[in-house]
Amino acid sequence: MSDLSAKGGSNVSAAAGSGSAAGVGPGALLPLRTSRPKGISWWRKFLRFFAELRDAIVQAAHSLISHKLRALLTISGISIGIATVIGIFTVVAGMQTSFARQLSALGPNTLYVHKWAWGVNNNQWWKMRNRPAVGQFDWHALEANARMPLAIAPSAATQAVVGQGEKELKNVDVRGTTEAFLEAGGWQLKRGRFISQIDHDLGTDACVIGADLEDAFFKGRDPIGGTLKVGPTVRCTVVGSMVRKGTAFGRSQDVTIVLPLSSFLRSFGTKRGLIIAVVAPAGKVMETEDEIIGVLRNARHLAPGQEDNFSVNRQDKILQGFNQTMMAVFLVGIVVGIITAITAGIGIMNILLVSVKERTREIGIRRALGARRSTILFQFLAEAVMVAALGGFVGLALGALGAGAVEVLSPVPATVNPQVVIGGLVGSSLLGAIFGLWPAMTAAFLPPIEALRYE
Amino acid sequence: MALIELDHIVKTYDLGLSKVPALRDIHFSIERGEFVAIVGQSGSGKSTLMNIIGCLDVPTSGHYRLGGRNVGELSDDELADVRNLEIGFVFQSFQLLPRASALENVELPLIYRGLPKKERRERAIAALELTQLADRMTHRPAELSGGQRQRVAIARALVTEPSLLLADEPTGNLDSRTGEDIVQLFLELHRKGNTIILVTHEPKLAARCPRAVRIVDGLVVADGPGRAVAMANAEALGAEAVAQLLAAQQAAEAR
Repeated sequence: MSDLSAKGGSNVSAAAGSGSAAGVGPGALLPLRTSRPKGISWWRKFLRFFAELRDAIVQAAHSLISHKLRALLTISGISIGIATVIGIFTVVAGMQTSFARQLSALGPNTLYVHKWAWGVNNNQWWKMRNRPAVGQFDWHALEANARMPLAIAPSAATQAVVGQGEKELKNVDVRGTTEAFLEAGGWQLKRGRFISQIDHDLGTDACVIGADLEDAFFKGRDPIGGTLKVGPTVRCTVVGSMVRKGTAFGRSQDVTIVLPLSSFLRSFGTKRGLIIAVVAPAGKVMETEDEIIGVLRNARHLAPGQEDNFSVNRQDKILQGFNQTMMAVFLVGIVVGIITAITAGIGIMNILLVSVKERTREIGIRRALGARRSTILFQFLAEAVMVAALGGFVGLALGALGAGAVEVLSPVPATVNPQVVIGGLVGSSLLGAIFGLWPAMTAAFLPPIEALRYE
Repeated sequence: MALIELDHIVKTYDLGLSKVPALRDIHFSIERGEFVAIVGQSGSGKSTLMNIIGCLDVPTSGHYRLGGRNVGELSDDELADVRNLEIGFVFQSFQLLPRASALENVELPLIYRGLPKKERRERAIAALELTQLADRMTHRPAELSGGQRQRVAIARALVTEPSLLLADEPTGNLDSRTGEDIVQLFLELHRKGNTIILVTHEPKLAARCPRAVRIVDGLVVADGPGRAVAMANAEALGAEAVAQLLAAQQAAEAR
């Protein structure tokens, strides 16, 4: 205040000699100047930036609070969009983890010889369809000639009704295999023993059951020695049971029964194609793959120029195929995201235009008092970004809630990771800034006098 | 050098079908420390002239120099700074932000100058004290009377220490007593050496200004001591107005 009085005093005497003598009134000092003011220093301009930023945020908050319903509607539009996109991405990521987790049960060192190439959905379908099925012949060839594999487990599978007396269980996975299967398939025995070489050689009626079958037919009893009816004709005697493995893709893996391969083929068809699981020594997967391809080509008498008429599948190859599918879903998610972003952006643009219209006079007042175009631009951008960021925040909350629901209600693990949170907030703010730019520009470029006169 | 130089200012409003001349050829200047009334009937172009002087509007042709600088050559940002640093504008309809308190309204121009919050507050309080509104600082415009709003508007114009105070019909919306308070405030500011321009249609008010410029249909028809211009105006208006004017003068002199 002291510098004000000093300025007033010195100027007055110079400009109005007679008037200054009569200087009476409410205050001895009057905050008016009679000399040319200095410009605004760079330091003041720096401070001004923050003062204006703060004012812009306060005004934006004010504007939203005084139009709660309008703000709410726009925010809900944005948040639904953000929640949808987050939902899609989270579920896709969840499915990927879940799939990878289940694949890891196959074992990274296990190769699967099959008529079909797994996880590949291209137009080789007809070619693969006409291949000869993988059969016992191939298995024997591998057993006889491949030196590298630690274990070779052929298996064939179907679904059938399993019953005991009146009790029946439908859609049970019935599998015929050999003793090497335990090692290759990631299963563990809980009770008794697994199918042995003798069971296969003799074609016995031994069977090993999954945890769900044990629960269904032998609740509270020792299942060993119990008998089950598999399909319409087969009867078998339980020799062991397996530890629970859990669900894969919403389906329990434990609704299963394992028979000796020979017994299975006898009962369910000898021409049935096999999948031969080959366990390679750690670090020698490629070499093992090369060896078994060579053995099988030899056994099948393929000439050097001929293509393989079988496939050797690997965990990572399956994952590759799966990832291709997921990428498609991901792309759909991105397209949906872009469409929602545009819709939400138009919503922001709309309320901002309304806000600019409503506050036209205010723009004029601010301009008359020294606000620059950038000040006004800033102010409306702040409002747009605030609405959008709020929408993003609510959307994230909804998305996280949805992901939580998916996590609890489905087998797919769905967690919202920090990148998604940051991306969602930054993305929605950016959205607000982009779509708010045009209305804010119209506000900033209004001629001050027209804005002031606006009714 | 004159503070304000108006060099053949013409302002034409383009209404599409027709062009309406608001100012036809305005040419005069105002020195530092002057107290000038611009008088005229509504529609005479006096408000348009005021807006041009206040750097809110631009002339169609002609040059306006403020403190030697040609306003027409300034960039938009420079104009904003001129409005902020050099001009204090008191609008006819007050033009206060309805959502902000009296204090916040007065602080507003200081934000655009980058003053720290504490200094803004101190200066705004001082300005409101000057206009005797210290006890109404937290009220919003809707909670204030017309006279109080006018005084908030004046405080806002004064808080920036402008070189030039512009007031458009400062007493137009006020009862005679409040109007008189405002006039007294202006006279006092003038005595302190400040440059003030006010627009009015009231001859009574113009008569009390040292200088008055009368505008009719966008042309300056009289420029001289306020009393003479007002008298000339009153003659045109008739005897009744003369009587009013004399009474007003006597009242003023008695003070």
